[in-house]
Amino acid sequence: MPGSSERILTTHVGSLPRPPALIAANARRAGGEPGEEDAYREQLASAVAEVVARQKETGIDLVNDGEFGHAMASAYDYGPWWTYAWSRLDGLEMVEAPLWSAQPPPPRTGTASGEVTLATFAERRDWNLFSETYGDPGSGASLPAVENRRPLPMCRGPIVYRGHDLLARDIANVKAALAGAGLEEGFVNALAPASARFGNEFYDSDEEMLYACADALREEYKAIIDAGLILQLDDPAIAENWDQIVPEPSVEAYQRFTRVRIEALNHAIAGLPPERIRFHLCWGSWHGPHVTDIPMADIVELMLEVNAGAYSFEAANVRHEHEWRVWRDVKLPEGKVLLPGVVSHATNVIEHPELVADRIVRYAEIVGRENVVASTDCGLGGRVHPQIAWAKLDALSRGAAIATKRLWG
Amino acid sequence: MATRILTSHAGSLPRPQSLIELNAQRDRLDGSIDDDYERALAQSVTDVVARQRDAGVDLVNDGEFGHSMRREYDFGMWLTYVFARLGGVELAEFGMRQATLTHRAPAGEITLAPFGARRDWTRFSEAYGDPQAGVALPEGEMFQHTPIIRGPVTYTGHDALALDIADMKAALEAAGLQDGFLNSVGPASCARLPDEHYASEEEALYACADAMREEYKAIVDAGLMLQIDDPVIADNWDQIVPEPSVEAYIRFTRPRIEALNHAIAGLPPERIRFHLCWGSWHGPHSTDIPMADIVELMLEVNAGTYSFEAANARHEHEWTIWQDIKLPDGKVIMPGVVSHATNVIEHPELVAQRIERFARAVGPERVIAGTDCGLGGRVHPQIAWAKLEALSEGAALASTRV
Repeated sequence: MPGSSERILTTHVGSLPRPPALIAANARRAGGEPGEEDAYREQLASAVAEVVARQKETGIDLVNDGEFGHAMASAYDYGPWWTYAWSRLDGLEMVEAPLWSAQPPPPRTGTASGEVTLATFAERRDWNLFSETYGDPGSGASLPAVENRRPLPMCRGPIVYRGHDLLARDIANVKAALAGAGLEEGFVNALAPASARFGNEFYDSDEEMLYACADALREEYKAIIDAGLILQLDDPAIAENWDQIVPEPSVEAYQRFTRVRIEALNHAIAGLPPERIRFHLCWGSWHGPHVTDIPMADIVELMLEVNAGAYSFEAANVRHEHEWRVWRDVKLPEGKVLLPGVVSHATNVIEHPELVADRIVRYAEIVGRENVVASTDCGLGGRVHPQIAWAKLDALSRGAAIATKRLWG
Repeated sequence: MATRILTSHAGSLPRPQSLIELNAQRDRLDGSIDDDYERALAQSVTDVVARQRDAGVDLVNDGEFGHSMRREYDFGMWLTYVFARLGGVELAEFGMRQATLTHRAPAGEITLAPFGARRDWTRFSEAYGDPQAGVALPEGEMFQHTPIIRGPVTYTGHDALALDIADMKAALEAAGLQDGFLNSVGPASCARLPDEHYASEEEALYACADAMREEYKAIVDAGLMLQIDDPVIADNWDQIVPEPSVEAYIRFTRPRIEALNHAIAGLPPERIRFHLCWGSWHGPHSTDIPMADIVELMLEVNAGTYSFEAANARHEHEWTIWQDIKLPDGKVIMPGVVSHATNVIEHPELVAQRIERFARAVGPERVIAGTDCGLGGRVHPQIAWAKLEALSEGAALASTRV
């Protein structure tokens, strides 16, 4: 997925606002209401066609299906990037263990030897430092209601990919939409193995489950690429596991813990062309303080070990905006492209296009203008109001045009 | 002479829950103060001054605690406190959204539309109307009963003001601090009310200026710094429909600056800070007037320090204008380097980068690190304090570099 030698290209992380009718249909289906499968598929296909056309009109160069195939059943929902995969994998059972009531896992293995393990979501350090804030619906930091109601997956059998039909549907929808919009390239999002943080009552170790997920999800990765589309691997866990380890581990211990996860991912994409793969890393998309986010400097080398051609990461929110300087000290390998976030879901204020341009230019001046594609921090759909999501994409594309003028004259 | 970057903030800080509850029991416009309330307020001010000092804030205030806030989230106290301190102002039977502003503009000139007709609010009406979007304003009292001018505007707030001054001075002494500031609303912000009394906008404006001068003078005479909050200088722009020319807006705004200068005539500029912003609601702000178009107007205010938003995503890029603007001798700028517009806590390194940009443009001795707007009532109290701590850590980092 190369950048351009003529101008700054634009893209985004994935999730876009679903039309209300699609959300309503998803809610009916999630509630077990029988519906006409054919009618739903038609509705979905036409929504994908519209969202691809709208991205093109908004000035987004590298488009996707808005993750519409990853069903969202309420207007605000941060979870479809991974919940979609639950129904595509055998071996999982849903258990009533919503995020907040989740009990700490059985004995933490290995802590004595300096190894780390994940705590529960409810034990996250930022969430405990700011528990009053996260617990206050007026603060804007609390999770959407759906997140607290949702049962979570527990692995109780061999993990096997069974999502072929749904995946084929999503691929067909994007390809038809691209053709309809007269576009050549598009991407499809898929869950990375490390971010498939399921409960495990089946495998002997978490590492065994990790590789089972890698083998299963590889089918999805390969199918997307074989279809001629770009694969985006969503792997927030690489960065945000840090906050879910209690107490704060050493950076070295975290890197050891995380390298295993990167290796599993590379196993899952072995033999697939890196230039058709983009890797997305983030620190969790909730609207919280994020004071315990691990610095990019501590994980950037790990990120670059992923055999992808492009790296997408948060760089527009105020916890990570300063980290452009990291790239002064890190050598971006030949042929790799950066997709820094230059607009963010973390504020309702629409980024001024001049600010977007400033951010792009900072990266371009360090790693080369042809190696930067302007993107978002995280998916905008379900995280900000639809009007705000589209206004931010518009600002992104205007800002990229300004940056192009500055960088190419 | 400061050898480091000093820190301050725009004014409002989170009120303790106990004070919010006491405020909720008090009458809206009567502003009566009993002994219990007086003690609670004084203690809260003492605590908040000490906490600012501990958080590393150099130039502190009373958190605007004397501007009584009746609920945890309320964006309006910078303005609404003053209605209890002005004769001639009543609460109307209708809310601010229904209020039409009564003065007609001279032919060819512009005038304010109703609040509900704001251009950003119209363009993003679905987002503003969605309680889950985090955009909507908390429905403060002004949504039910807008203040309205129905008689000669006079200053009647002497007792409340004297209390604020006394509380602030006692709190400074208890904290071992020399200097502090108190916030007061600018005449143009004060006069942006429906008016059934004055014949012209200018008459109302100067009546507010004369009334408010009593508050300004008392604060300065007491040895405190005066901060004049006047967002309307910037945020009126969005309330003029359709979008006017910049020239027309400057003609519209200059009388408001002149009225303010009239109100502070003879007061020492070095004891006055002027605060400008584009409205503190968590909206898109897509129609904010660029700072470049109003910066010269802002500098016409006879103040020593200028506070403005520079940390949110709509205004962060505007530091570059200070490379071209000649900041008059003796003046200081106080850009926002942390913002109420996001719950994410600014990384101290980002705060330092922002400060350094301004310091390179105007000189490090002429920059005070501030906040975009008051944090109290606009973000959760935990977030407000964490942002002030990030501000002071960032200022310390910047001080080692500039």
